[in-house]
Amino acid sequence: MEVFQYVLRKLLAGIPLVLGVTLISFVLIVYFGPDKTYELLGKNPTADEIAEIRSQLGYDQPFVTRYMDYLREIVTLDFGSSESTDEKVSSILARTVPTSIALAIPGFVLGNLLGVVLALVAAYYRGFWVDKFIMGFAAVGMSISFLIAIIGFQILFSSSDGLDLLPVRGWDMSTPLQYIRYVTVPTLATVFVALGYNTRFYRAVIVEEMTRDHVRTARAFGVPPVQLFYRNILKNSMIPIVTRIMFSIPVIVISGSLLLESYFGIPGVGKVTYDAIVTGDQPILKAVVVLTAVLFVIAQLLADICYRVVDPRVSLK
Amino acid sequence: MSARAEVAVSVGAHGDSLWSKALRKFRRDRVGMWSLAVVLAYAVVALGVVLGLWAGDWADVSGPKWAPVSGEYWFGTNIIGQDIFARSLYSTRTAFEVGLVVALGATALGAVLGSTAGFFSGSWIDEVIIWLMGVLDSVPFILLVAAISYTLQGSPWAMHIAMIATFWIGTARLIRGEVIKLKSLEYVEAAHAIGVSRFMIIFRHILPNTFHILLVQATLSFVAAIKSEVILSFLGLGVKDGMSWGLMISESTFEVLAGFFNNFIAASVLMFGLVMAFNMFSDALQDALDPRTVK
Repeated sequence: MEVFQYVLRKLLAGIPLVLGVTLISFVLIVYFGPDKTYELLGKNPTADEIAEIRSQLGYDQPFVTRYMDYLREIVTLDFGSSESTDEKVSSILARTVPTSIALAIPGFVLGNLLGVVLALVAAYYRGFWVDKFIMGFAAVGMSISFLIAIIGFQILFSSSDGLDLLPVRGWDMSTPLQYIRYVTVPTLATVFVALGYNTRFYRAVIVEEMTRDHVRTARAFGVPPVQLFYRNILKNSMIPIVTRIMFSIPVIVISGSLLLESYFGIPGVGKVTYDAIVTGDQPILKAVVVLTAVLFVIAQLLADICYRVVDPRVSLK
Repeated sequence: MSARAEVAVSVGAHGDSLWSKALRKFRRDRVGMWSLAVVLAYAVVALGVVLGLWAGDWADVSGPKWAPVSGEYWFGTNIIGQDIFARSLYSTRTAFEVGLVVALGATALGAVLGSTAGFFSGSWIDEVIIWLMGVLDSVPFILLVAAISYTLQGSPWAMHIAMIATFWIGTARLIRGEVIKLKSLEYVEAAHAIGVSRFMIIFRHILPNTFHILLVQATLSFVAAIKSEVILSFLGLGVKDGMSWGLMISESTFEVLAGFFNNFIAASVLMFGLVMAFNMFSDALQDALDPRTVK
């Protein structure tokens, strides 16, 4: 019951945020966005025809009325149909979200898992060459552009100048083997770049925990290193780690893979969003922006609940 | 009272302020000094382009298609015979332009809004600024760039404005926290007591004491701006007129498949060098300004 009340309160508190996002998206994408009048008119339109189309599109209405219409569509989850393909936005999302998740999951899991492991090793050997080597590697990962990493791995694995093992671009999930063949290059690029940031972040968190008094005391009492790391350090570092992971989720599901998907021609949400940006497809952009904001509110909520799970002292009040 | 004043004077006499200590620490940091030298070398290249000393011919179609590295074309030529070396130099200028504009804009905005929110923490002003940060944080970055680009009708500054509109948030959060700490200190109370206006207290008395945070945040924004420029230009949302590393890499994706790597390697290596050096400079700066590290 306590949790339920908490969830409800948090969701209510998220409303201003989502409203703000809808306002920004309305002002930038619709109100000041591309004028659709002349796309719908034939050659040499008369002034009457122009006025008629403009009133159909709602351009003659005041700002507040148009924004309220926009909000009503969002609240009723009626995002309409894509302007370029006429497919319903909801069915486009249903088709593309699973692809995006399948593309993002391996890189996300490996990037965070390896990041924590490398950070633990670096923190354990703090100041020694192992630490310096890992942090040097992380600095390289941080400094290389994601785009360069993508092209580099593509040359290495997919071109005739490299190993020529994997497909150059495209997507196929029909069999597990095909999935692995297509997901490998994007995943390697993601992990390489993400490891740079993740390792540094997690190492800073772990070092902070490691230098606390209770850890020193435990070590003095002869607690074995593995147990020390697991029970006294990792467990206490969970809050920043959970925060980081939770807040990456909305970005991954909706737009994070935009570059990967448009580069490799993978039919996910990122590709759909990119195409919508290029063609000015407002219904799709609207849905993507609003859903990202809603996911952010949910991620915040899940993060708070996870804090409670990893640290019983946190209260959900 | 007099004893304390004496201590203050003697500390001042040794020049042991945060800044002089930081400078001493930084000078001893070999990695930091080397990375600063690399960044300055890039800056000289960029300045030379601005002054018209070199790379003025970056757009000329002068050579044969895909010329190899030679005395005339140091990095070879691209698919239509433009000199890759000149284009790389010109792109350095673009990187500095984007980096400096965004770093200054985002840091200034973050400083003003962050300190205002922190000073008025708990009031509606704070709530509004926090709400604004949350909202801008929740809009996907690339979509924001595209939307601002629509609104400004394809202006080449759309990219800069979108980056400033999102990069200030991190700075503002840090400054807000720091200002909340600082505003309860005695010297702020004293300023209140002698009737200094709130505007002057925030911007004349509190904000200068967060300058070490702003400096580090500016270097981080600079790096983030250069990296975002490459991706946005590749997606066709970034640099519109001119040349940049992002546009060079974008050009090179066709060439790479045909086995010609000069464009890709030139842009990647130059960009990597600058970003790496700037990252290490930023790290060294953070260490030097951190009062907890002793060197």
